Amino acid sequence: MFFKTLFRPQIYIPFLGLTLLILTPVLVKSPFLLHIVIITILYAALGSAWNIIGGYGGQLSLGHTVFFGIGAYTSTLLYLKFGLSPWLGMLLGAFLSMIVAAIVGYPSFRLRGPFFVLSTIAFGEVMHIIAINWRDVTGGSVGLGIQFEPAFKNFIFSTKVPYAYIVIGLLVLILAVVTLMEKSRMGYYLSALRENEDGAKVLGINTARYKLLALMISAFFTSLGGTFYAQYILFIDPYDILTLSLSIDMALVSIIGGIGTIIGPVIGSFFMIPLGEFLRGTLGGAFRGIHLIIYGTILILVVIYMPQGIVEKIRKKYRVLVSKLPGFRPEEILSLRMVPGSHILQTANARSFGEHPTPFLLEVQNLSKYFGGLAAVSCVDFRLRQSEILGLIGPNGAGKTTLFNLICGFYAPDDGQILYKGKNIEGFRPHILCQKGIGRTFQIVKPFGNMSVLDNVIAGAYCRAPKNAIARAKAEEILKFVGLWENRNLIAKSLTLPGKKRLEMAKVLATQPDLILLDEVMAGLNQREISDATVLIKKINEEGITVMVIEHVMSVIMSLCHQIIVLHHGEKIAEGAPEKISNDPKVIEAYLGEEYLIARG
Amino acid sequence: MSEILIKVVINGLLMGGIYALISLGLTLIFGVVRIVNFAHGEFLMLSMYASYWLFQLWGIDPYVSVLIIAPLFFVFGMIVQRGIFQPILNAPEVSKIFAAIGLVMVLQNLALLFWKGDYRAIKTISSGLLIGPEGFMIGLPRFIAFLAAVSIMLGLYFFIKNTYTGKAIRATGQDQGAALLMGINTKRIFLIAFGIGSSCVGIAGCLLMPIYSVFPTVGAYFVLVAFVIVVLGGLGSMLGAFIGGLIIGLVEALSGYFISSTYKEAIYFIIFWFLLIYKPTGLFGSVSQE
Repeated sequence: MFFKTLFRPQIYIPFLGLTLLILTPVLVKSPFLLHIVIITILYAALGSAWNIIGGYGGQLSLGHTVFFGIGAYTSTLLYLKFGLSPWLGMLLGAFLSMIVAAIVGYPSFRLRGPFFVLSTIAFGEVMHIIAINWRDVTGGSVGLGIQFEPAFKNFIFSTKVPYAYIVIGLLVLILAVVTLMEKSRMGYYLSALRENEDGAKVLGINTARYKLLALMISAFFTSLGGTFYAQYILFIDPYDILTLSLSIDMALVSIIGGIGTIIGPVIGSFFMIPLGEFLRGTLGGAFRGIHLIIYGTILILVVIYMPQGIVEKIRKKYRVLVSKLPGFRPEEILSLRMVPGSHILQTANARSFGEHPTPFLLEVQNLSKYFGGLAAVSCVDFRLRQSEILGLIGPNGAGKTTLFNLICGFYAPDDGQILYKGKNIEGFRPHILCQKGIGRTFQIVKPFGNMSVLDNVIAGAYCRAPKNAIARAKAEEILKFVGLWENRNLIAKSLTLPGKKRLEMAKVLATQPDLILLDEVMAGLNQREISDATVLIKKINEEGITVMVIEHVMSVIMSLCHQIIVLHHGEKIAEGAPEKISNDPKVIEAYLGEEYLIARG
Repeated sequence: MSEILIKVVINGLLMGGIYALISLGLTLIFGVVRIVNFAHGEFLMLSMYASYWLFQLWGIDPYVSVLIIAPLFFVFGMIVQRGIFQPILNAPEVSKIFAAIGLVMVLQNLALLFWKGDYRAIKTISSGLLIGPEGFMIGLPRFIAFLAAVSIMLGLYFFIKNTYTGKAIRATGQDQGAALLMGINTKRIFLIAFGIGSSCVGIAGCLLMPIYSVFPTVGAYFVLVAFVIVVLGGLGSMLGAFIGGLIIGLVEALSGYFISSTYKEAIYFIIFWFLLIYKPTGLFGSVSQE
């Protein structure tokens, strides 16, 4: 089985590439050329490491030089002062880098966009300054030299060939890790949080943890590269290995090649680094910096004209090429495996409900939330029975979405409490609540725009699926259930609004909730789409899922809900069965004004 | 307070004035166009070279060359915005940041190519002049730079507060979409804001020429300080940039005096880092920094 797959071009082309890479150090005789090969592969490795957090996680670090520096300084200092083999020092440095990454990353990840970038730059600058001034240890600006004593245990070799193989090994290792990561829980989670952080949280994704994890892995490999560089050049100083421009170069090769793709950083560095080295070698003295002018120009052009990088431009051609090669068979569509359990939406109910005495899934007691002086939600009480559909209505600004945000853990209540399955859920963050079975959709949809519809749902399915195949199978079932199966390979942002609303529901359903909060899933839909959505919500409820729904379309609310709560100015003004609510004078007043009531007599 | 400490404080404030001068343009661009223009430092470098050559070739004093360079840089800024940043207005953050970094690489190395790495300084009439009471003399060019920072700050403040264009600039900075719906041509506003921001840094370059030498990487040093100040003061706040500049100037001078001048940059970067994380709106920031 495995042997057969080797004869497919999708498999043997990468292997051919790898073979070529492995043969290069033997074939290239000129030391100058071999040096370029080594530096190019080193940048490919560094770019790939950066790509884990910068590309997949979307957190643009321009402080990676710190991890490179820690790797180089740790192994070098341990070798110079204690004679410790740099092989060991390399590992110690890498672990130190992970620790530093955790300490610095944790607070920095609260920042988004340009502010995160600036904080990483500041971090790099601080380390640069410390390395320059802490002369006793780092040797300051003078730098540290390593005696040339070739020996395997010294990580010093008399020719460049062993270095070439080590760096190839490093690159292959990182690429293997990235490849494994991409199609696993971690890869999906990183892409999801890059695309939309709140959207990721409500799918049970601990975004802070996954960002940190990605940064730590990235720091680990960057640090290995730092030690390698120190042992290869046998000299380090803060101007060479702890500079902003090094951080920029790591990111630059990824961006030019194709950010967030496995092969992007490799292509980027194979394209950029030899170009730069040749220009520097040939034009060098007379035109200093000309290669950087060309780098900069290419960077600007790539960013404007092919923001997905070179990869995007050659991907189609590569696919065509592959399809014409001998042994080609299209990718198999994964056979549908049923997840054990009779119900498609088999929820967590069976697992945990019934352990507690109360018949109510959700009890909200005296709940209040203030924004400044405004009581967005004020002393609201209600109870929600297992398997009910509860409608939440009220004029705009009545506090409906705020109530959802309180139940889902986005806001902390100022007063009162929320009991879920009989337990107080105060202080639980959204991803924990999702894991406990509370799912929600957003009024303003939050799709993971650049991922396929199927991948969006897979990201949700990982909440309960222990394995990749199970997550995928679950996601496929859900897509059929909600009627998005035909669109599964579309990019999420290309869906129409009804499609996006449906995708919101599919993502939440994939997390297998016990309670699902739907925030205006029908707003902006036409009559037919509304009736489709109504049927879908009924179907969801029939599977045993308790539903709470905010909606303005009264006919839907009336036909769908078992119970209705009316909010007005943050207060609950009415509660009861649909018929009762529709005749309640207070409700009519809230919606249509006092005059209407008077006029009607 | 000892005499020496007073001197340290005065020098810190004067340095702060220079920092503020550079940051005023940046806060406008960062706060309104939302471009992290790393090339702001290179704009400064270019304006310093421009002022240098005007003096060397035609003997035009830097204080006079302001009149030429300010409009020149207004146009230059608009060209950069139109050519580089406008096409990627709706692109992800990564594109904008790396477009700016690409611009840094090109400008810095073009300068290196044309003018080599030499430090170039000029000697003008005002260069060596000192003013002030005995014992607390300060250099006239630094004092002028300080005054210029105050005037530009006030000028910009009244401009964005009171004119229609200024109001449109503020509105665009607050919410691009809403501004568009109010009939504001946001693309044009971005061009103007970028132009004004560049013009400010152009003026800063002229005023620095009697004090500093110019070399291709001079901007790289100043730009990071300027970002610290802009974040400290709050995005898009002129007063914030000015006060922020003074604070950083003081922090730098005092930490140099009390701790060690070698770590002064490390200290304000650490302040910056904590500030970003725990008070991301800055001192005078109204706009959320997400």
